[in-house]
Amino acid sequence: MKCWPMRDVAVISIGYTRVSEHWEKSLKGLFVEASLKALESAGLSAKSLDGIYVANSLSGYIQGQTNLANVLADSLGLYDKFAISIDAGGASGALAIHEAYRDVAHGIRDLVLVCGVEKMSEASTQEIMSALTSVQDQEQFEYMGATVHSLAALIYKTYLKRYKVRQEEVVLMSVVDHEHALTCSHAQYPFRLSVEAIMDSALLAEPVRVLEAPSPSDGAAAIIMCPHEMAKELGLPHARVAASEVARDRINLMEREDLLDMRALVEASRRAYEVANVKPSDLSFAELYDDYSVMGVIALEKLGLCDPGKGVELLKSGEVMLKGSMPVNTFGGLKARGAPLGAIGIYQAAEAFLQLTNSAGPNQVKNARIGLTHTSCGFNSLVVINLFEACC
Amino acid sequence: MAASAYWRTRLHRYRLLGNKCAACGKVFFPPRLVCSYCGSAKLEEYKLAERGKLVEYTVVYSAPKGYDAVVPYVVGIVELENGVRVVAQITDVDVNEVKEGMEVELTIRRLPEQLEGGMICYTYKFRPVIG
Repeated sequence: MKCWPMRDVAVISIGYTRVSEHWEKSLKGLFVEASLKALESAGLSAKSLDGIYVANSLSGYIQGQTNLANVLADSLGLYDKFAISIDAGGASGALAIHEAYRDVAHGIRDLVLVCGVEKMSEASTQEIMSALTSVQDQEQFEYMGATVHSLAALIYKTYLKRYKVRQEEVVLMSVVDHEHALTCSHAQYPFRLSVEAIMDSALLAEPVRVLEAPSPSDGAAAIIMCPHEMAKELGLPHARVAASEVARDRINLMEREDLLDMRALVEASRRAYEVANVKPSDLSFAELYDDYSVMGVIALEKLGLCDPGKGVELLKSGEVMLKGSMPVNTFGGLKARGAPLGAIGIYQAAEAFLQLTNSAGPNQVKNARIGLTHTSCGFNSLVVINLFEACC
Repeated sequence: MAASAYWRTRLHRYRLLGNKCAACGKVFFPPRLVCSYCGSAKLEEYKLAERGKLVEYTVVYSAPKGYDAVVPYVVGIVELENGVRVVAQITDVDVNEVKEGMEVELTIRRLPEQLEGGMICYTYKFRPVIG
């Protein structure tokens, strides 16, 4: 039975750290910094919150820190508030927003903080690869040497062959990300990247190259959500949550009918468009989960922004740039803004907030009315599509 | 990996033993507890074919712990003669000579990881069929 939200929900404030290798900051330090920024910019104190939703995927693996929400709420000086941790790999942040949204919509809580935090620089590159592979079924792949990169490579080669496109075209996804990160102050890699530089970079698993996937990073991003009516009373700039839909697919890629199906992505976006009563062409911008360049290209197609197999055509058309008709990854996406795993979905939401409140500075998309964030894990085995809408 | 975890999965790793849904006939490898197609929990042992075709592959350069010494190596999707697809390492083949469509057969090989107490671990790999 479908359960309809009872109250409209708004995002009223955001805060984040730059995505970087923050040697001087702990997991707690990053969390507190992003959370306090969000609270300060709304003029609220932590004591006024009704609950905290913490998104993180790897703290148990990297820092040996479990029971995270409890520990982090305490670090914010809150010992008497509801707090919950949410781990769904790369989708953690967006899933935490989904949970907070539902609780506020159904009147369970009013004023909530959702913070995603990840600190990946405390592990070696090899450990990070294993941690990322651990999103898959551990009894299956890594022990025999099949990494997350090798699975991406199998999807990549299938895509290149089916649609007869060249890798030099697919990597444009990363080129676009870096172009948009040039003016993004919180981006991990705010520099230009050429197709040649990507194609010359080392292979992770043929054909996947180092420069078409994110590097490990640290970062935290927070948003504050409340009922839409409360947002109006507070008189703060805000954006409405127009839809938050979650869909799942088989984790084992070999159990899927087709490697390029991405059924959960198709289903979650279809439902989100339906709830918000919009068409893909109504979107002002989209933030894609491009953990590999090819996954961004596939997302363009599955979200209905172009026809199947035409993702690279859309990239080449330039319409995905900030001034185009369908800007994507407006602050650099996973590749260039950076991808602190559990925080990704919150960075995307914060960026959508900036666009929809007309405060995105040099990255501002003209007349931004409705924005989509696509967050996923395990090659879209879990997909969260959040739609945000401008309110002024 | 713990010795007990390894021991539990010995049959599927050494015998290429999956299972088949008694209700809808779907075959799974590794074996599942509940069918991901029809939801039935009645699954019967099912021995996979030991020969098949390499339908897609990649060459791994960035390897997990234990595999550093053997890069580059090949990981591919093998479509077995009874239609099941598995991801596995392809061995006994030069990375420049591996080809899509290549006939491959099961071989049991040692894993780089050695468990506590010196227990040696093996797994399935596939190698090109000769002749």
